Amino acid sequence: MINLFQFIPEIFILSLILITLCFGLFNKDRAISLNTLGFILLSVLLLNYGKDFYSSTQISLNTINLFVLAKIILSIGSIVFILLLKRPLKNENLYRYEYVLFLLFAILGSFVLISSNNFLTAFIGLELQSLSLYLMAAFNTKNLSSNEAGIKYFSLGALSSGFLLFGISMIYYDTGSFNIQNLDNFTAISEIGLSLVLISLFFKVSAAPFHIWTPDVYEGSPTISTLFFATLPKFASLIFLFRVYQELNISDIKSLNYIFQMVCAISLLVGVYGAITQKVIKRLLAFSSINHIGFMLLGIMSYQFMSEGTLFFYLIIYLITTFGIFAVLLNLRTVDGEFTKISQLNGLRFTSNSKSISMLVFFFSLAGIPPFAGFFAKFFILSASINDGFILLSIIAVLSSVIAAFYYLTIIKNMFFNKSEIELLDDNNKTGKVIFILSGLIITLFFIYPDPLINLVDNLFK
Amino acid sequence: MSFPILSLLILTPIIGALTLSLSSSTQLKNKTIFLSGLWITTGEFLLSLLLPIFYDKSKNGYQFIEFHTWFDKFDINYYVGVDGVSIPLILLTTFLVPICLLCSINSIQNRAKEFVIYFLLLESFIIGVFVSIDLVIFYVFFEAVLIPMFLIIGIWGGENRLYATFKFFLYTLAGSVLMLLAIIYIISKVKSGNIELISDFTFDQQIELVLFLCFFASFAVKVPMFPFHTWLPDAHVQAPTSGSVILAGVLLKLGAYGFIRLSLPFFEYASIYFQPMIFALSCVAIVYTSIVALRQLDMKKMIAYSSVAHMGFVTIGIFTLTQDGINGAYFQMISHGIVSAALFLIVGVVYERHHTRMISDYSGVTNVMPKYSFFFMVFMLSSVGLPGTSGFVGEFLVIMSTISVSVYLTFFTAIGVILGASYMLLLYKNINFGDLKSDIKQLADLTNIEIFYFSCLAFLTMLLGIYPKLLFEMINKSISLSII
Repeated sequence: MINLFQFIPEIFILSLILITLCFGLFNKDRAISLNTLGFILLSVLLLNYGKDFYSSTQISLNTINLFVLAKIILSIGSIVFILLLKRPLKNENLYRYEYVLFLLFAILGSFVLISSNNFLTAFIGLELQSLSLYLMAAFNTKNLSSNEAGIKYFSLGALSSGFLLFGISMIYYDTGSFNIQNLDNFTAISEIGLSLVLISLFFKVSAAPFHIWTPDVYEGSPTISTLFFATLPKFASLIFLFRVYQELNISDIKSLNYIFQMVCAISLLVGVYGAITQKVIKRLLAFSSINHIGFMLLGIMSYQFMSEGTLFFYLIIYLITTFGIFAVLLNLRTVDGEFTKISQLNGLRFTSNSKSISMLVFFFSLAGIPPFAGFFAKFFILSASINDGFILLSIIAVLSSVIAAFYYLTIIKNMFFNKSEIELLDDNNKTGKVIFILSGLIITLFFIYPDPLINLVDNLFK
Repeated sequence: MSFPILSLLILTPIIGALTLSLSSSTQLKNKTIFLSGLWITTGEFLLSLLLPIFYDKSKNGYQFIEFHTWFDKFDINYYVGVDGVSIPLILLTTFLVPICLLCSINSIQNRAKEFVIYFLLLESFIIGVFVSIDLVIFYVFFEAVLIPMFLIIGIWGGENRLYATFKFFLYTLAGSVLMLLAIIYIISKVKSGNIELISDFTFDQQIELVLFLCFFASFAVKVPMFPFHTWLPDAHVQAPTSGSVILAGVLLKLGAYGFIRLSLPFFEYASIYFQPMIFALSCVAIVYTSIVALRQLDMKKMIAYSSVAHMGFVTIGIFTLTQDGINGAYFQMISHGIVSAALFLIVGVVYERHHTRMISDYSGVTNVMPKYSFFFMVFMLSSVGLPGTSGFVGEFLVIMSTISVSVYLTFFTAIGVILGASYMLLLYKNINFGDLKSDIKQLADLTNIEIFYFSCLAFLTMLLGIYPKLLFEMINKSISLSII
């Protein structure tokens, strides 16, 4: 008999979806606040009983920890996201409760993806997640570029799903099994199959050279959706990638390992070179995220050194920073609508202290300059990778972060040194303000008092 | 000693900056802000005076040590302490920052609050570099210094400030990240970031050479040594006076300090191996930049190039690997910190009054500003290396120590001294003597504040020149330990 106990988080989200479906028709405000409560409850559940859910299964303790931590982060991220989404959607006249449904479906997909031990389940999770994302990209139906983003994302995403299915079927042909753990004797066919699976996952996390969709989709979608693409689903896909890497021992398979290293190096470089000339802030953030994916892949490859700690650490800091940056961007509007160009940030220093200083913290942190948490995130990844002997990749990584510093500095320059040209409307969104100030504080205070975050990661991996 | 004086030194400016940033800027006048900044930094200076008083010169190793575990899991510790090499530089820093604030009371009109905050942060980061004896926090502070400096040049700089500040930031960052990799590698080998432990560790010779070059990349940009020096003139010319003062006075010393504190004790083999390269680069720096300085039209640029030349003496002195050489180099560092800071202030004084830095725009200033000319002469002669001023002792010791290495080296360094004298005298002559130009007749002589800080600086130069033992007593023992 199937033990339903281990599916409690997923069932929980499913029931949230059903409730929202019924409830949202009548009162969308209440449906949203209900979801906030629901996710708070879920986080508390996971924090306290997360490990018990899986105790009756045969999954190794380490993997259980991974599941629980990833799900906690996802549900906390969802809380923040739900709190943020109301005002930006209202501003664009998009405030409909379906948006929350897509979010819920995407999170459900991510949950399934993270904890699947079977390629088919993983495929279902990934598709559930991606389909919601396509809809979120095209959510602004009256806007041409939003439609374009949705269609682009969909068509390329469908292609990558095709790769994934093809890869899975090749593995199945070779081994007769869909299980992720159970791939001992490899032949060339399952190697090819696995490489196709990897390619599709690289596509999902937008690692170069499978990144082409990223800047367009980031730019075209409503900013609130962009925030979602940049954070939670990507996080889930990365965790799955990490699991595939670890449980199939990809480090032992020469060809795949080579692919991994190449993708890592290319992401690091494409990310920075693409970002230099960008004028639209969301495109710049898209490329910068590609660069950071490169760092994360480096972390995945060198997990042996300090266990999963370094990777999670980087991910958490990256998530916090991205939430902070987007919270600031969502709080700014121009007369024409959403805030888009970097040059529109000019002179932000004079209009808003809290925003400009938070942005300063975020971008210096992304650039990896101490005394911000981003430095330690990069430091630990580099420690791990040097310990595991990836010297060349580490050199590429640090040099890329020097180039990255250039465009982060350009943004800071615009905010602090330039005079403002156009009038920015302050949205005065209280929750947004709280979120970016809080993220800024976490990023800064982490330097002085790192214990809470490290303990969180540490305890779950003990 | 249980009193956490070093943490207090690091924290005082940060706390001051926080308090300032929380106060509302609309109610405070610029002057109040500067005054509160001055109170904080003067307090800091007095606090730092406790260091030489309570420092036990007869003991080896670090004192006032504080140790706290910081990242338990990754074995990164907050580990600070000082020895003879760091104390004078800390004093130099705490001494120069109040002067920087003093000199900008009038020139910085907009966004004064931010200005003071950035200077306070800068001060605490710099002190952090000098007190840290764990590689990771050394790097953290070393890098963090860039942020306030980037903003200071970028916000209050000259017309071309963006180019200069980007160049400054990216050059230094590019150098430092290589050092970061080397630091990570060292920590993974030694299993500790403790500087003393790493000094005892012997690396593979090949690897040691690579590690040395990584550290060299970072410090050579900071010093700056010859091929990496191009950011310095730009940064100096565009920076506000106070920015130049702190840049020339302290930031350049971070590189040389890094050589003495880290490179020499860590990489003994590599230090000897790369000796010729460093001598060659330093000789080129001394002769080439002196010649370049001779042809400059801009006063600040000239002094910036002279800084490169003077720092060439420092690197030569350090890499003679003799006690005399390093002593001399260290003395030159401190002396240059005072003198070049003073010279940038000197330029700042006339720039503030006449709004041009071109040498050709000035002539016969001595007629209208006699006090100014007097202080200018003191610092000019000290920069030239006149006996009795601090400039002399360092240069003399360095040149003397080069004889034991190579006579050619002595020859080139001596040429540097002659060239140095010629461009400084030329500068002095062109500005102070000659016919009085009509448009500078209205220039007012030094104000009391200016006289105050110039006399402080002049007093220090004379004191160190006449009684150099004051400094040598402090540094001798610590330096003798870092020599191979």
